[in-house]
Amino acid sequence: MKRFLIAAMTMALGVTSASAQSLEDLNIQIHGYATQGFIYTTQNNILTTTSSSGSPSWTEAVINVGAQPIPKLRIAVQGRYFLLGNYGNAITLDWAAADYKANDKFGVRFGKVKTPAGLLNEVQDIDPSYLWALLPQSIYPISSRNSSLSHLGGVFYGTEKLGRKFGKLEYRGWGGERVLGSDDGYFLPFKEAGLGAPNGFSWVTYGGALHWLTPMSGLMVGISDIQNGKITSAVTAANGALAGATAVTWPSKPAYFARYDNGKYMVAGEFTTYAPKGAFLFPGARSPINIDQLETYGMASYKPTSKLTTGVYYSQVFDHGQPLGTTNRYQKDWAISGRYDFNEFIYAKAEQHFIDGTALSYDANLNPNLKPNTHMTILKIGVSF
Amino acid sequence: MKKLLLSFLFAAFASLIGQRAYAQVIVIANPSVKTSTVSKAELSDVFTGNATTLKDGSRAVPILLKAGTAHEEFLQAYIGRSDSAYRAGWRSLVFSGQGAMPKSVESDAAVVDFVSHNAGAIGYIGKNTPHDGVKVLAVK
Repeated sequence: MKRFLIAAMTMALGVTSASAQSLEDLNIQIHGYATQGFIYTTQNNILTTTSSSGSPSWTEAVINVGAQPIPKLRIAVQGRYFLLGNYGNAITLDWAAADYKANDKFGVRFGKVKTPAGLLNEVQDIDPSYLWALLPQSIYPISSRNSSLSHLGGVFYGTEKLGRKFGKLEYRGWGGERVLGSDDGYFLPFKEAGLGAPNGFSWVTYGGALHWLTPMSGLMVGISDIQNGKITSAVTAANGALAGATAVTWPSKPAYFARYDNGKYMVAGEFTTYAPKGAFLFPGARSPINIDQLETYGMASYKPTSKLTTGVYYSQVFDHGQPLGTTNRYQKDWAISGRYDFNEFIYAKAEQHFIDGTALSYDANLNPNLKPNTHMTILKIGVSF
Repeated sequence: MKKLLLSFLFAAFASLIGQRAYAQVIVIANPSVKTSTVSKAELSDVFTGNATTLKDGSRAVPILLKAGTAHEEFLQAYIGRSDSAYRAGWRSLVFSGQGAMPKSVESDAAVVDFVSHNAGAIGYIGKNTPHDGVKVLAVK
């Protein structure tokens, strides 16, 4: 929390130092959006909601304030209220950063910044920017997105033109510290198992990404890799009765992705792996972490009219760390989606999921009799400005 | 019946003429912009936040119309997106900290006023709008 405050104060200082200029000169902009979702599932309760009875417990509201005191410098801060079932229900700082773009070839931003990994990581929490009501959960699980969304530190970025025959190459590099507070949704499964992380988790992170904008208009091919330092943190078991420590190594999270988008049609896909190694250590006991996931999705969308977008995706995750023959070893999800933009500000989404397997999105408390598959319907309305 | 048919044909012709006139959107720039021609790809890059300079090194600051025929035609001809998709793209940049939304104004006259008074500014207007103080860029 202290780090977040420092980031916010840096922001405030930046704005204050420029207070001699008029608001017009500062080019101050205020943007925001709010969404309300409704989830219904035919069998299991999903994402910590009581969705089998129909749940409206999915609300997000975001406010963004930015200033551009000089053409090459932007300063902005974004806050968020997030509620999804038992996740969130809190106001948090999304990011707060200063961005200096020297030219198209080089720019840098620092503060609390979005981590530009994978195809959608930077925008995975920005509902107005995409068709889907719920992104492919294999790679972008909404319950634990804070574990990869942003970090305290910096990002450098730029675009290099490769000539007419070879297109352009966008690069991003980043480094810093990732911090998860003890109340983050990431820890909910731990809590259900009686485990706790009273100080949360924090760890060093760095990485890079390359996006090749090929000579074929609209086609981008990319690769990224997140390198993570060792996580060592105090943990508790038996609902706080037992004190211990965790030592987790999460050496690398490579992602390979591609997208073709011509404005009317879009096709994209991504593949990544997630395999942290380590254990929870308590006096006389060691509980190993067995996660070895292959995660992928493919998606396509079509825009039949200027206001309507339709699409479909297939998302799957295989966790080779889970016992053979169990349904929590995999999850396959077909989704059919539609979005209608009533005007510049208001949109609605409808999405139907066909989920097989239980590797993701289910908590034990709300699912004493977990079924191997379920259908899920999502309705969502959003307002942005 | 013949009169009705003639009226219909006249109306269809007038509509066609009108549509041809709407199609005439022009791209204007502040005189500080060195080049007199831009490519469709350059325009797309500048107006989608992917570039802040043109090929000749001139700084480019885009300005948008909030709505209207010229706006729709510009997006269709040079960006290849509907207004909702275009603005969704910008919102991705704004809410992920990668960019600031370009200034949007209500009228062609306001675009001309902004472009004529701001170095590097680039905008688009209907061909028949008076545009003293700015230069017209040819799109290759």
